[in-house]
Amino acid sequence: METIRSLGADLVAISPERPDNTLTMAEKHTIPIDILSDATSEVMKKYRLWFAVPAEVKALYLEKFGLNLEKYNGAGRWELPVPATYVLDRDGIVRAGEADPDYTVRMEPSDIVAAIRNISGNLSR
Amino acid sequence: MSLKKRLAEFDASRKRPPEVVAILRRGIDYVRESGAAGLRIGERAPDFTLPNQRGETVRLSDHLSRGPVVLNFYRGVW
Repeated sequence: METIRSLGADLVAISPERPDNTLTMAEKHTIPIDILSDATSEVMKKYRLWFAVPAEVKALYLEKFGLNLEKYNGAGRWELPVPATYVLDRDGIVRAGEADPDYTVRMEPSDIVAAIRNISGNLSR
Repeated sequence: MSLKKRLAEFDASRKRPPEVVAILRRGIDYVRESGAAGLRIGERAPDFTLPNQRGETVRLSDHLSRGPVVLNFYRGVW
């Protein structure tokens, strides 16, 4: 995270959670990134990342994991984004990124840093 | 070690019962088939306005006016 910011890029995180239960007061004021709440799923849908949790998975979360998404997302909101990371240049163009429904797969931090360096390199040319 | 390798090792270390793994895998396949594939490389990211952790209104284009942006969608703190 510090590396990304030292390269002059802003980090912006988005989840479907309501804004009130994600962080303590201290964290809200010290974390140097924007943590955004997409409480109507509008942005997840715009980015084609939105899905409704299938019934079988919902039952597993509730019964086996003791996880009720409504507690975090609000009443009736069994909705999630496909986990995704995008590196945007100043024009908002996606220069690198990954979105994978398998939430155990994430974009390599080294690939994120390389993409930012590539954008900055092109700017200074 | 790469993040991918560490996450794979962590997932394996949880030793979930086969029936639980099967449900989670079917869930992942369902999402894959739903066509929620996200943005393509080279595509312009749609602008948006959302509240941040302090209740302030944040616009993507305001961040972009300051430099590149790493945008991360995550499922939640759980």
